[in-house]
Amino acid sequence: MSIAGLGPHGERASPPQRVALSPADIDAAREKGFRVAIVMHTLESDFARQQLQGLAGTMGDCGTAVIEVVDCGFSPEAQIAGLDRLLHEAPDAVISLPVANAAVAAAHAQLSAAGISLVLLDNVPTGLLPGKDYVALVSADNSGLGRIAAELLAPHLPNGAEIGILGYDADFFATNERELAFSRWMRRERPDITLRTSRFGSIRVAGETALSLWTAQPALSGIFVVWDTPAREALSALARQGWTGPVATIDLGRDVAASLARGGPVVAVAAQQPHYQGVIAAQTAILAMLGQLTPDWVALPGIPVTRANVAESFQTVWRRPAPPEVLTALLPSRREKK
Amino acid sequence: MQALDREDEGTRSRGRGRPRGSETASGSVIEILNLVRTGQATTRQEIERVGEFGRAIVADRLALLTELGLVDESELGAATGGRAPRLVRFAADRGRVLVATLDQAALGVGIADLSGRLLMEHHEPADLTEPATTILDRVTSLFDWILSRQSGPGAAPWAISLSVPAPVAEAGGTFLTETPPILPGWEGAPFVEALVRRYGTPVWMRSSVETMTMGELHGGAGMGCTAMLFVKVGKRIGAGLVCDGRLWRGALGAAGLIGQLTIQAGERTGTLDALAGSEMIAREGQAAAEEGRSTLLADLHRRHGALGAAEVSQAAQMGDRVAMEILSQSGRLIGHVVATLANALNPEIIVLSGSVAQSNDILLAAVREAVYGASHPLVTRDLRIVRSQMSSSAGLLGAAMVAVEGLFAPPMLKDWILQGRPMAHPSFTALRERFEEPAPAQPAAPRNARA
Repeated sequence: MSIAGLGPHGERASPPQRVALSPADIDAAREKGFRVAIVMHTLESDFARQQLQGLAGTMGDCGTAVIEVVDCGFSPEAQIAGLDRLLHEAPDAVISLPVANAAVAAAHAQLSAAGISLVLLDNVPTGLLPGKDYVALVSADNSGLGRIAAELLAPHLPNGAEIGILGYDADFFATNERELAFSRWMRRERPDITLRTSRFGSIRVAGETALSLWTAQPALSGIFVVWDTPAREALSALARQGWTGPVATIDLGRDVAASLARGGPVVAVAAQQPHYQGVIAAQTAILAMLGQLTPDWVALPGIPVTRANVAESFQTVWRRPAPPEVLTALLPSRREKK
Repeated sequence: MQALDREDEGTRSRGRGRPRGSETASGSVIEILNLVRTGQATTRQEIERVGEFGRAIVADRLALLTELGLVDESELGAATGGRAPRLVRFAADRGRVLVATLDQAALGVGIADLSGRLLMEHHEPADLTEPATTILDRVTSLFDWILSRQSGPGAAPWAISLSVPAPVAEAGGTFLTETPPILPGWEGAPFVEALVRRYGTPVWMRSSVETMTMGELHGGAGMGCTAMLFVKVGKRIGAGLVCDGRLWRGALGAAGLIGQLTIQAGERTGTLDALAGSEMIAREGQAAAEEGRSTLLADLHRRHGALGAAEVSQAAQMGDRVAMEILSQSGRLIGHVVATLANALNPEIIVLSGSVAQSNDILLAAVREAVYGASHPLVTRDLRIVRSQMSSSAGLLGAAMVAVEGLFAPPMLKDWILQGRPMAHPSFTALRERFEEPAPAQPAAPRNARA
């Protein structure tokens, strides 16, 4: 699948194959015995845990020790403190998901200045440059994810519908790209649809934001939320007040998978591959530590998921069978298939 | 933009109500503002010393600039023995600069503060063969989006600056009063007019090579350099020249069009664009794939349906000999032309940019070999030849710097500084009035848009 978007500096995407490790690379890494640290936005989500598994497993295969995992709890202050501490521990590489933009830029830039290979996940603070301030960005094709969500939601929307976009009110590369790509596709392919945008500052207030949007725009007949956890909050708040309609989001969390399997309200998901992303980020870091040239931006394509392929997509994304609530909800249609 | 109008009025009345000799002394106000803005002076004592002003003049002018909201003296600097000096800082957050880069296959937008620092940016694929109306609509839609993400008193735009993939035949000076010819087929497309109507700010425009050169000079590999050569390798090959720390535009903004030079490659004669540009790289790669000379290129061809320069570059990076030779050949040809320029300019640094140059080191190595082999030893003694790390961000940052330099150039500044905002510049006010009669609710469609 081709990559729809451009990188944070307008770079063309490099496919994950560009950072494949040869047996000689793995041997060389084992010989060196590198030490790396991982700085995550949170460790509370399935997504983060899967990314971490991919990272740690691949690092282990290459004889590289993960000396610390920092949980920032979405807090820029916690991330800055964690990065400052790591600076003194001097690992060979740090893999970090920047939780903010300008606030955490300097804390990240100081790692590269100190000779530590910095691989970023999902986000690049404005002003940081590849090759100078960090080695590479590894992310999903977020623009492609937004486009997939729009394409899959569109058939569920009547002509002339009004739909809501719930964006994230932080300057974050991944969510910005998803929001822009979703609205761009709708404007081009479904000009009959009116888009109403509102943004939540944190997951906690996503439900309130959704309700305010609905109050201001009572004709809303569908919603796109830029990732699944706030989508869950928005949906439960809206459902309590009696709103129904099709919903599209990004990431195949357990709840949205179950909703897809039941036939709604979530009808479309564009899924990232967190485990695979962790593997690719680890490979990129290994190559950088070996002194090899790495691409500025490695992008992984998204997976379009509907009720028709939710079970197998769940397996691809999470590397385990779909949960019982998904399989049970699919049972009648599976039997029909046979 | 009613909010802008209201803010304008407030500032104007503040300027009008100030009876002091400063209105006849705008020269020193401008000079002091620019000393502070460019970081040449950061305390009152430094302003007195660097600008050779008396203490009373500095105090009076800083009081005025503070009242206008253009400088801030609220922070203390480090003490060097006695009392800590009060720092004089330029209020870069007072306004914003909207920037956009239009490239053959990509569109970028961003927003910067008044120091030119990028605060947000976004890039997406685009097709510049689409009608000008479509491109203009997308630019304004993205500008609206990026403005919706700003907050605070300094969130309103003060200027717009565009980077376009062709020379801009304009001799410099103040803001644009009409859209200069950009691309064939876009004649009459009123980019400037539509943007002025919608956002109520002055507009600047430069070629992408010029803005990227400015970006590298102010935020990339060329920072602090007085002589720099920037070379962009794409479908077209162009050079940006920096002399005495400033971009050299030439008489009509056409300096550095090296892609038009006729060169010879083996038995072939053609322009540098035709024999070394990305279209040649793609064509040679495609031929190698079809003729079975490279299994990797053939595989990429099968997967993508066609090969572009990016795929050839990717194959070269993965060690494909045929792809490496294609890039080396391109690099040698570019290197010979660049060597001629280097001998003329004697730069401290040569920065190679463009997706092909940035995605691997093969083209860079070939250019280095050709330049070092064809230059005077003194020219190459301390010369660095590097690839850009900034990608398209260079164009956005450079476009912001074009607008910032334009806004604060003394001939422009003298006509708005006492009003506190460039939108109050008399010529710009007149331009807005001209464009706004009759005032449309939305940006007008370009007149000669291609179907």
